[in-house]
Amino acid sequence: MNTDKHRFKTAILRHETILLCVVILEWIYFNSVGLRFGSLDNTFDIMRHSVEIGLLALAMTPIILTAGIDLSVGSLLGLCAILFGKFWRDAHMPIPLAAACTIGIGALAGGLNAVLITWLRLPPLIVTLGTFSLFRGLAEAITRGVDTFTNFPASFLFLGQERWLGIPAQVPIFVAAAIGIWLLVHRTTFGRSFRAIGFAPEGTRYAGIPVERRLAMAYVLAGIVAAVAAIIYTSRLGQAKADAGTGYELFAITAVVLGGTSIFGGVGTVHGTLLGVAAIAVLNNGLVHARQPREVAGMLTGLLLILALTSSTIPKMLASLRERRQTPVTKPITT
Amino acid sequence: MRALKGVSFDLLAGEVHALLGENGAGKSTLIKVITGAHQPDGGSIEINGEQVAHLTPASAHKLGIACIYQQPALFPDLTVAENIGLRLEPSSPLKKVNWPARRTRATELLQRIGAEISPEAEVRSLSMPEQQLVEIACALGAGARIVIMDEPTASLTQKEQHLLFAVVKDLRANGVGVIYISHRLDEIFQLADRVTVLRDGESVGTHAIGARVCDPQQSKTTKNAMESPKAEFDSTSCGSESRAPEMNESSLIKLMVGREVSAIYPPSESEAGNVVLSLKHLGCSAGGVRDVSLEVRAGEVVGMAGLVGAGRTELARVLFGITPADSGEILLNGERVTINSAQEAVAHGIAYVPEDRRRHGVILEMPIAHNMTMAIHRRIFPGAWLRFGAEKQLALDFIHNLGVKAYGTEAPGGSLSGGNQQKVSLARWLATKPKLLILDEPTQGVDVGAKSEIHKIIRHLAKEGLAVLMISSDLPEVLGMSDRIAVMRGGTITAMLPGKSDAHEVMAAALGQKEGAE
Repeated sequence: MNTDKHRFKTAILRHETILLCVVILEWIYFNSVGLRFGSLDNTFDIMRHSVEIGLLALAMTPIILTAGIDLSVGSLLGLCAILFGKFWRDAHMPIPLAAACTIGIGALAGGLNAVLITWLRLPPLIVTLGTFSLFRGLAEAITRGVDTFTNFPASFLFLGQERWLGIPAQVPIFVAAAIGIWLLVHRTTFGRSFRAIGFAPEGTRYAGIPVERRLAMAYVLAGIVAAVAAIIYTSRLGQAKADAGTGYELFAITAVVLGGTSIFGGVGTVHGTLLGVAAIAVLNNGLVHARQPREVAGMLTGLLLILALTSSTIPKMLASLRERRQTPVTKPITT
Repeated sequence: MRALKGVSFDLLAGEVHALLGENGAGKSTLIKVITGAHQPDGGSIEINGEQVAHLTPASAHKLGIACIYQQPALFPDLTVAENIGLRLEPSSPLKKVNWPARRTRATELLQRIGAEISPEAEVRSLSMPEQQLVEIACALGAGARIVIMDEPTASLTQKEQHLLFAVVKDLRANGVGVIYISHRLDEIFQLADRVTVLRDGESVGTHAIGARVCDPQQSKTTKNAMESPKAEFDSTSCGSESRAPEMNESSLIKLMVGREVSAIYPPSESEAGNVVLSLKHLGCSAGGVRDVSLEVRAGEVVGMAGLVGAGRTELARVLFGITPADSGEILLNGERVTINSAQEAVAHGIAYVPEDRRRHGVILEMPIAHNMTMAIHRRIFPGAWLRFGAEKQLALDFIHNLGVKAYGTEAPGGSLSGGNQQKVSLARWLATKPKLLILDEPTQGVDVGAKSEIHKIIRHLAKEGLAVLMISSDLPEVLGMSDRIAVMRGGTITAMLPGKSDAHEVMAAALGQKEGAE
């Protein structure tokens, strides 16, 4: 059938398919070059190191689907990390309570972004650029730039450094978050609304969808996820400092965009984001095993991003060129 | 769509010639042809007796044609003298600006039209009429012999109008031909020497108004006929004028609406039931709606007529909670409600099919199935979980019932034609099972076939007991579809007319004549 053939063709050209091939090719290449790259230990290592950025990228996906952006998640990770340390060490809270409070702080911080964006109708780029500085500044002020939190109990460090049922202990949290956000985006009316807002915010309002509430939900969710990432980060490194998570927001945005989500909103998938995270994580880890300097990783990530983005547009461009050649140019009819 | 078909129009030196017509009669298109913005595909244009083959905006300017639009096109951050200089001085990047000369010229031109505006003032600080005066000064400075004014008084106060009229009379005294477009009949009788009425892209008559004797010498003719091989009028003399009968307001309105309501509209079969919507002195200062009182009954189609800008869409936006009301009452099925957001409106059973289909009615990038379920997320997706099967079934039902032509439920809204997009927009709102359906220009930009299908759907809905409020600028549609007609003007309802009204009555009410009775 013609439509089946067409469907197969579009599936092959789908961004996620191309990206999956990239990840597999990366894997094959580094496995042939690096000595220990393909080992189970190293695979777990890659996972451990990509959980925090992966969480931020997952939470960033709904936001970018609404044609918004959140630059503050990296700074918020830093703020949450040191507040978590503060709750535990200075307020003498037990770890679970400190974690709960930290997540509360994350929700509040996301709520601040949401309020500024939906009530004051300021562009998300400007709002989160502001809170990007604000959250980091707060973290530095609280620690006066020198205080670090260490000597966490072993039971807490287990989360970031040990294995549970044979896999890194933080991975189940990440998998749960990935499934949750995938369901949210792809299987609920909320995800549908995010897309609609990304395509046409006014049109969405005219359909009776509470645009402000949906936007607020996406930003608060990002705040909560950033707090969870902060706790995992602290556990993995065994310490919390004010500069935790510096630059993570850009890695997260890169992963989302690499995963095929349009920065203009509306288009994108959560599994694409996961592949984007994987492509970057495998590349960074593989280069270390191939004994390449760290700087190469940045360059190659940039190159990968540009290549991945053009790979999906080039077939479209070719198709439209072919169409234009086939149909004669007609004068537009004025109505 | 042909906007103009065989228009003959002539303008004499030293006259004010009014151009009159309904929304969409072709006035704007005619202006665009005269100013060279659009090219005619038939007919001829003569200026000062010479045929002009190819009119472009630049050559129109050279020939002394100037147009003053409702919204002046000046640079707000430059001074008056700079704006005038930019229009009139030949531009060359290396020439030094002669500031004193620039200022002197600006002062002179402004004095000639009696405007008390400082050439040093920034245009931003000027009022709308002052900006229009600057435009007129530019036109004069360029030696314009033909000045076109497109609804110049639409945003002016009474006092400003008088100032503008004085300038227009002055232009006329100086031998300039003025084409004056306005919806306000009283102005036309005050100012114009002759009037040409356009209807459906055709000129239906040119008539003398004023008692002024026209000067047959030094006449300019702008003749224009699209798709008509020869221009009918040749009024370089006053001959045609003396033959034309004297007009009064009522006969002008008759000319504007002219046509018969064709029998293509399906007959009303429904009985009006209970009052579904009742508005009492509803107002919204931000939306420009004031003191609106209206009742819409179940099974009834209430048409809303009025000119563009009369406040009809604004009223719909108030009812739908986009710009909430700040005074008066809304009663739905007898219960007083407040509507502060679109969600609340939907919850109260109000559906609004908006005017701007591509921006508000349909999300072009989304599949039509998603578009159709957008307003019923809660009902069709319990617990917020998407149910693709139910969604597809609903979409297929609507595609079948409304006759939507699309390749499938997954076709993006933007891939459909205008009429089919409108049906998708309608489907979205019918899916909410509303009590009150507000349709805003339901057949605008829709082809004839889809138009009559949409009319049949509306009738069918009314028959099933829905209360329908239909805003339309298409007068035959309002007359053909409505059980009652509300006419809006200046943000409020000025007349309630029965459905079998005469086009003339509706137009008179829309234009502000006191003929419509409550």
